[in-house]
Amino acid sequence: MALPAVAIYSFLYLYPAISNLLYSTQRWDGVTKAQFVGLHNFKYLATSDDLFHKIVANNFRFSFVVVILQTLFSLMFAIFLLKNTKANIFLRTLFFFPTILSSVSVGLIWTFLYNPNFGFINASLKAIGLNKLALNWLSDGRYSLYSIAIAQIWFHTGQMIVIYLAGLQQIPAELYEAADVDGATRWQQFRNITWPMALPTTAVVVAYTTIQTFRAFDLVYAMTQGGPMNSSDLIVTSIYNMAFGAYKFGYASAESVVLVVVVLVITWIQRRTLRVDYGSR
Amino acid sequence: MKNKGMQISAFRLGAIAVMAIGLASASLTSVSADSTPTFGTKCTTEGASTGTSTTSLICQKGDNGALKWARVRISSNRQTPVPALHANSGTIEFHHWRAEDKAVFADIIAKFEAANPGTHIVQVIESSNDYTNLAFSQIKGNPKSAIFVTSRGGQFTQFYNGGLLRDLSNERFVKSNVISSALTPGIVDGKVYGVPYQSLFNDPIYNADMFAKNGWSVPKNWTSLLAFCKTVKAAGIIPFAWPAATRGNAGQIMNSFLMNSAPDLATLTSRIAAIDTGKADLTQPWFTDIATKYQQMNTAGCFPSNVTGYNDTVAPADFASGKAAIYPTGTFGMSTVTNLNPAMKGKMKIMSLITVDTKPLYEGITNNTFILHVNAKSSSRDQNIARAFLSFLTTADIAQEYAVGTSQHVSIVNVDYSANIDLLNTSDIMGKKLLLAPRFLFNNVTTVRNPLEDALIAIGGGADITKTLTDTSKTIKQGLGA
Repeated sequence: MALPAVAIYSFLYLYPAISNLLYSTQRWDGVTKAQFVGLHNFKYLATSDDLFHKIVANNFRFSFVVVILQTLFSLMFAIFLLKNTKANIFLRTLFFFPTILSSVSVGLIWTFLYNPNFGFINASLKAIGLNKLALNWLSDGRYSLYSIAIAQIWFHTGQMIVIYLAGLQQIPAELYEAADVDGATRWQQFRNITWPMALPTTAVVVAYTTIQTFRAFDLVYAMTQGGPMNSSDLIVTSIYNMAFGAYKFGYASAESVVLVVVVLVITWIQRRTLRVDYGSR
Repeated sequence: MKNKGMQISAFRLGAIAVMAIGLASASLTSVSADSTPTFGTKCTTEGASTGTSTTSLICQKGDNGALKWARVRISSNRQTPVPALHANSGTIEFHHWRAEDKAVFADIIAKFEAANPGTHIVQVIESSNDYTNLAFSQIKGNPKSAIFVTSRGGQFTQFYNGGLLRDLSNERFVKSNVISSALTPGIVDGKVYGVPYQSLFNDPIYNADMFAKNGWSVPKNWTSLLAFCKTVKAAGIIPFAWPAATRGNAGQIMNSFLMNSAPDLATLTSRIAAIDTGKADLTQPWFTDIATKYQQMNTAGCFPSNVTGYNDTVAPADFASGKAAIYPTGTFGMSTVTNLNPAMKGKMKIMSLITVDTKPLYEGITNNTFILHVNAKSSSRDQNIARAFLSFLTTADIAQEYAVGTSQHVSIVNVDYSANIDLLNTSDIMGKKLLLAPRFLFNNVTTVRNPLEDALIAIGGGADITKTLTDTSKTIKQGLGA
């Protein structure tokens, strides 16, 4: 019975993954015959490719900002929108709306918003006299990565609100009633009931967001293509450029292996840190 | 008051002169037999041309400095054009990235299909970035893509190395219908593997009307260019609407910076090759000098204040609305400008961007946007349809339809541009000494050209030259070594 499933899994997942691992040990331009180079690609990535190191650092910064802010915002909004009132249902729909947009559209919308010449953000800043804060959001290497991070948060927060709402609605109302009787403040209720009870959901949100940020490609490609001067380049955009721009498929495969390892390690650390025991649930 | 009166008079005179020149150049193709320009005889208006057919003439300075009618160089093909081939029935795909040409190609395809019943051509269009990155693998794995385009340089080489380009050397329509000098980008070892179709000129377009009204003259050398920027900026106008935030278009002026940077073409080619292969750094004096000129333009106020955030949406809009004097991309940008402001039609001219004070080696840049190919891996039946369609595209009437519809020059003989005043007004560049865009000599686009252009953009925006070039050299070398 399991044979078809194993066959489909092997064909669709195992075969590409193993192929990728094999390519990572080769020098291959996609046209001429591949040449086996052993671990050279990994050695070069680790020791000689400063640009890749910069890109990994970019990705960590991007991930850090997005994971923290997206988790915070989604938890906050989920708490505010927890009750099933008409207004809350409308607001949930509103917050979820960006999720259904295509990422290229989101990229274009934010590119226009950030445009230093006619964009809404700079126009608003100038209108209230904050001319010094009207920056080249996407064209200045100091801000480009964080500008994309904000767009990413706007794009995906709605999705995380839904996950949090599902988690928060599982918390027994009796706990809050008992806390009210005991005279607990809102903050005490959050700290002692909501936060601990929402921890498994937080672990899911954090893990999912982390993976999302390390897989980020579309928004970056639509908004800056990694520029200026690689300041907003992330690991996946680098893989794409290396494979389909520089035709270094072996090297790009090695980068993708590194990406998998990085995501695995981070997710493992997060699970240990948040101490979630899925088995007991 | 007297001064104002004189200004108005001068303005009127200028306007009348511009109108007269415009009318004269527009009507040159239909002048009477007595005044018909004759090859080798004297002429009065430098740059005036009779079109770009095989018999067209252009008014230019001879060796003794006197103006005389000379042959339009681009139309030097002396063969007699041949009609299009007949296609067998069937369906093929036409892969390209010219989304802006979709409608014109659709009309041309409809005519081709009407002339060849049972034949169908499906356009498959992708964005230029996706096409650059994905077209090779898509076309290689799809023999139905019997006709497709490549860009000159790296992409052409990739397809050639992949064995996807059919040898077109013996096709009569190639020998007779295509301007022979324009075939260069499609030739390898003397064999023609593609037809460079659209001829464009990657030189700055200027608002001739604005120049005339303000009494500005086109700068002829580096010193006058920097002085020009200061004058124009003082008048509250952006001298160069340089779209630095859009790498693809921002890189066009690099062609002009490169064209006179070396003593000869061989030296320039070898210097570019040395950078492209990681044998030389950007910090070498030759390239540092180019970067310094970007900085000088920035200092002289040639660019808008927030230039690194100035993209190719804002730049043509500023040029079209009269906020900028020059749009430094190329003839391909004119249609965008006239779409934004139809009143700009007939007001644009093309200029040489000279970055030296000595006699320039070259006065302008030319390039072929795309090269048309027949897929050597397609079935012979599909290749025949592709050959027939390619031959159809090289006939003068169809090429003219494409040229007028897209506002671009083409590399096909006997095309009459008089239906498009902007093409006619910019055709004088064909009489100058032009260099095939050197920017595309960088074959390693992702690992070399992109970071190099990013560095020049950053420097044009005020970044430190030494640090930027040092950092970028390191990035390039490490990228090449990966």
